[in-house]
Amino acid sequence: MERIQTHPILGDSPKGKLVSFTYDGQVLQGIEGEPISAALRVAGVMTHRYTKKRHEPRGVFCAIGRCTDCVMVVNGMPNIRTCITPLEEGMDVRTQYGASDKREEATL
Amino acid sequence: MIKRYDLIVVGAGPAGLSAAIEAAKNGLKPIVFDENAKPGGQLFKQIHKFFGSKEHKAKIRGFNIGDELLREASENGVEVVLNATVIGLYDGKEVTVKIGEEILHYKGDSVLIATGASENMVTFKGWTTPGVIGAGAAQTMMNLHHIKPGNKVLMLGSGNVGLVVSYQLMQAGCEVVALVDAAPRIGGYGVHAAKIARCGVPFYLSHTIVEVTGAEAVNGVTIAKLDENFKFIEGTEKTFEVDTVCVAVGLSPMSQLLKQAGCEMKDTPGGFVPVCDDSGATSIPGIYAAGDVAGIEEASSAMIEGRMSGARIANYLGYLDEDALQARLAELEQALSSLRKGMFAPENRGKLVTKTEEGIDTSMSLLEKGYVADDEIEKYPGVTKGSGVHPVIECTQNIPCNPCQDACPKGCISIGSNITSLPVVKGDVACIGCGMCVASCSGQAIFLVEDDIGDGYGTVTLPYEFLPLPEVGQKGIALGRDGKEVCKAEVINVRSSTAFDHTHLLTMKVSTDMVMKARFFKAE
Ligand SMILES: Cc1cc2nc3c(=O)[nH]c(=O)nc-3n(C[C@H](O)[C@H](O)[C@H](O)COP(=O)(O)OP(=O)(O)OC[C@H]3O[C@@H](n4cnc5c(N)ncnc54)[C@H](O)[C@@H]3O)c2cc1C
Ligand code: SF4
Ligand code: SF4
Ligand code: FES
Repeated sequence: MERIQTHPILGDSPKGKLVSFTYDGQVLQGIEGEPISAALRVAGVMTHRYTKKRHEPRGVFCAIGRCTDCVMVVNGMPNIRTCITPLEEGMDVRTQYGASDKREEATL
Repeated sequence: MIKRYDLIVVGAGPAGLSAAIEAAKNGLKPIVFDENAKPGGQLFKQIHKFFGSKEHKAKIRGFNIGDELLREASENGVEVVLNATVIGLYDGKEVTVKIGEEILHYKGDSVLIATGASENMVTFKGWTTPGVIGAGAAQTMMNLHHIKPGNKVLMLGSGNVGLVVSYQLMQAGCEVVALVDAAPRIGGYGVHAAKIARCGVPFYLSHTIVEVTGAEAVNGVTIAKLDENFKFIEGTEKTFEVDTVCVAVGLSPMSQLLKQAGCEMKDTPGGFVPVCDDSGATSIPGIYAAGDVAGIEEASSAMIEGRMSGARIANYLGYLDEDALQARLAELEQALSSLRKGMFAPENRGKLVTKTEEGIDTSMSLLEKGYVADDEIEKYPGVTKGSGVHPVIECTQNIPCNPCQDACPKGCISIGSNITSLPVVKGDVACIGCGMCVASCSGQAIFLVEDDIGDGYGTVTLPYEFLPLPEVGQKGIALGRDGKEVCKAEVINVRSSTAFDHTHLLTMKVSTDMVMKARFFKAE
């Protein structure tokens, strides 16, 4: 999805500083301080994790840190709610399978 | 060591902040905790002009009201702690707060819970597919984080949240393919529905989602019509290609902390809420509740409720004497009761109101399709004929709102002392075409019409809040109230002004016989 450049009511969106981070090893860019999930959505990433038992995809649902559908493994830490965690330069963001970033974990 | 405060407020939304401000003005030292990184609760996601009257800050956009509240809070020394989730409330008015990985304990001589509400969910096949989001999430993404939630969106839910967010999605540049609701009638304000309908968004009432498709992300959604028993009627399925489905099916008070503390609770159609008096005092002395957590309403009422609780708490702790309290409460009570009047008053929830207070039939087309039909519109007192430019006010429901009356420098528009009365255009006063009424109308329901400018043409001036802004000379088509093409149109004037607060006034030239039908401009 795109960023809104200029909004009829809110005007020009703040510019912000572009930073690089990795998503499952792939280098992406986002704006420093925006939620990780926002940068991912702009890059077209909709699935953040797969459920443990049924291996079903989940993505952002509430965007305010309540539903935990958006959790990912960030800098090695699982269960990070990406919708409320600010993006930093060099972050390592990975899809979460069940409770970890190991694909097998969700298919056990 | 447990830290002690006069007043602990949980939630820095409009209710919590207002309460803390009122208490601080009376000499208390309040502290406010909010789990968010930013204060303001829902207010900063709301970019439309609010309803109500001047005392409710009507016609000011939600996020600007939020800025005002924050300024007032800091001027009065209100301490706000962010990223702080309150996880426990005990009846000794002890509060546990999680900040980062740390758990801290605080004790208040009084505690106000203003935690707001959470969004309800409905389940359907595919509801967990990435791309199905809450309406609040859509607002958060587009209005706080400046990204489009999706490109093509279907909205489920026609209450004010569904309507307002649909419009905001269009303002953010998304396409809204349909607005769907299982109820047989639109739940929110008719003026909110009308401004979406005239842009061409179809409404499907008595419909709901059968299935959302897409393996890794939403790629389509199928809806179908419901019979009286809420069962799908076979053969009525419609499929839309979308990447996002937005769900706005109501809010529930987040009252867990109050229950945990042992406050007396009650189950109401609007959710599980604490039993409390008008100023928010619960069954436990010193514990109060205000805003959506005490019953879902609006930001305007949440702010007044917060002020009432703040004053009551000041009295409880001996900072405000009984007479002063009663005087303040009476003043606030009046402001609050005016917001609870009209067709959408709490006692009318879910009911079909068939006539306006003036005795005019309710437009069923508005309730079922989102727009007042062409042959109904002239029944309403804001819709008059006149020579020269004159306002046409398509505000047809009794809602608590009156900025249009205050806006007109000439006194062309009257609502009177009853805030929910329909606006009336006074025939004996000459309109100068300044457009203040068009820009001030929170419902974008006012148009300026001039029947005859010569050569068989007339003009229609309408409020316009989209980008790109059409230019003078641009040709296109005029859409009717139903969003369907009515005739060719040419933009002959575009007015913008700080006084209009981002609502532009677009004047289009259409043939004279279409001036009472053309209500939106679409560039070719
Ligand atoms: C799309 C939409 C459109 C709306 N349009 C209008 C309108 O036109 N006019 C109008 O008057 N109203 C409108 N409203 C309603 C209005 O936003 C709410 O009624 C109002 O915000 C309620 O205020 P509040 O302070 O009770 O709750 P909120 O604004 O929800 O604030 C509650 C705060 O509490 C915090 N919180 C919750 N739990 C905890 C905890 N355990 N610990 C710490 N902090 C916590 C939350 O983070 C939040 O900041 C609209 C709402 C929506 C969703
Ligand atoms: S255009 Fe100006 S003068 Fe005419 S009704 Fe509206 S506010 Fe009044
Ligand atoms: S016409 Fe007046 S009362 Fe109706 S929505 Fe507009 S400002 Fe409010
Ligand atoms: S989307 Fe719900 S917690 Fe992030």
